[in-house]
Amino acid sequence: MERARRGDEDAYEELVRAHQGIAFRTAYVIAGNASDAEEAAQEGFVKAYRALGRFRPGSPFRPWLLRIVANEARNRRRSAGRRAALSLRAAAEETSGGAAPSPEGDVLAGEERERLLAAVNGLREEERLVIACRFFLELSEEETAAALDVRPGTVKSRTSRALEHLRDAYA
Amino acid sequence: MPELETTLRELNVAFPPTPDLASAIRGRLERRRLWQRPLVLALAIVVVAAIAAVFAVPQSRSAILDWLGLRNVSVVRVEKLPVVPATGLDLGRRVTLDEAEQSAPWLLLPDGDPDSIWLNESIPGGKVSLVWGTPSHVRLLLTELSGRAYIEKIVDGDTQVERAKVGNAGAWFRGEHVVMFQDRDGQFHDTHARLARNTLVWQQGGVTLRLEGGLSRDEALRIARTAS
Repeated sequence: MERARRGDEDAYEELVRAHQGIAFRTAYVIAGNASDAEEAAQEGFVKAYRALGRFRPGSPFRPWLLRIVANEARNRRRSAGRRAALSLRAAAEETSGGAAPSPEGDVLAGEERERLLAAVNGLREEERLVIACRFFLELSEEETAAALDVRPGTVKSRTSRALEHLRDAYA
Repeated sequence: MPELETTLRELNVAFPPTPDLASAIRGRLERRRLWQRPLVLALAIVVVAAIAAVFAVPQSRSAILDWLGLRNVSVVRVEKLPVVPATGLDLGRRVTLDEAEQSAPWLLLPDGDPDSIWLNESIPGGKVSLVWGTPSHVRLLLTELSGRAYIEKIVDGDTQVERAKVGNAGAWFRGEHVVMFQDRDGQFHDTHARLARNTLVWQQGGVTLRLEGGLSRDEALRIARTAS
């Protein structure tokens, strides 16, 4: 980090490699599509590099970076004048090399997952985003607050409300 | 109900594969760095050209000269010295002392014979240079111009400019600055601008003299006062 702050591009490339996954997925959740997410993440990393001089040494890098990237993603969504069209879907289940689950169990698990995801997709945008950040991206409260540009207390209350709505919808 | 939270975490939501951002960003940073270099140079040249254009106007030159008392030298202060292309001293052709005095009868000679004398006739009234050392390794350079020629100096905050008591009027420039000579068309060309160091400039009658080298102010004044 210190080398990157001094303008070492090799050091910054290492930082980008370490964080590009979470930065891209955060941008994807906010921007709603892969193309805008890629642009937003790239622009965010370049802006972060230019702003490294203002980064407070010793403070965590990830929330600081995610705030910049998420801001880029929001700007893209706004300038495109479209609503968040992201509809989350489940990844294809990987069959483990061990004992295969029964086909019946697969179908049930698959149906459950789809039902829960449908409930998440049915939430209001701000609630869907907080659920995505906290449970799908597994961001901390601090990181979620930075990405969504809200106070940590708001993350807590919004998460709690979103979970209640999910229980109602999913029950 | 923590069970819901656990289920959410284990949902295994599909995300598109992460593109290779690191390589793309590395490329952007490198392109940005390459762009900055010629830009700085281009801007610097524009600054020199713009300043030259402004001070080619005689009225604005007079206003600048008031505090130094030098009629033929204008001084422009800028925040940061422009980058000037590396050019030679533009000495002209080498001449004998007789030839120099024929072309420039106003020539003033200090104590101590120079190693070579040069005449540049592209400067209005001619520019005579007395060189100690060799043209590629000049130890001391005394340049003399007739009252028809003008010099422009660009200085920044690190250059000290002080009045100096020599001839009719004099000024001591300590530190790096840019010097330009006006050509026959009355134009200052940035292509002829060069970086100069400690220099004493003074006027003696209708002649403008500038003495440049690794000299202290007192040493420069001592030499200058011998030129008559």
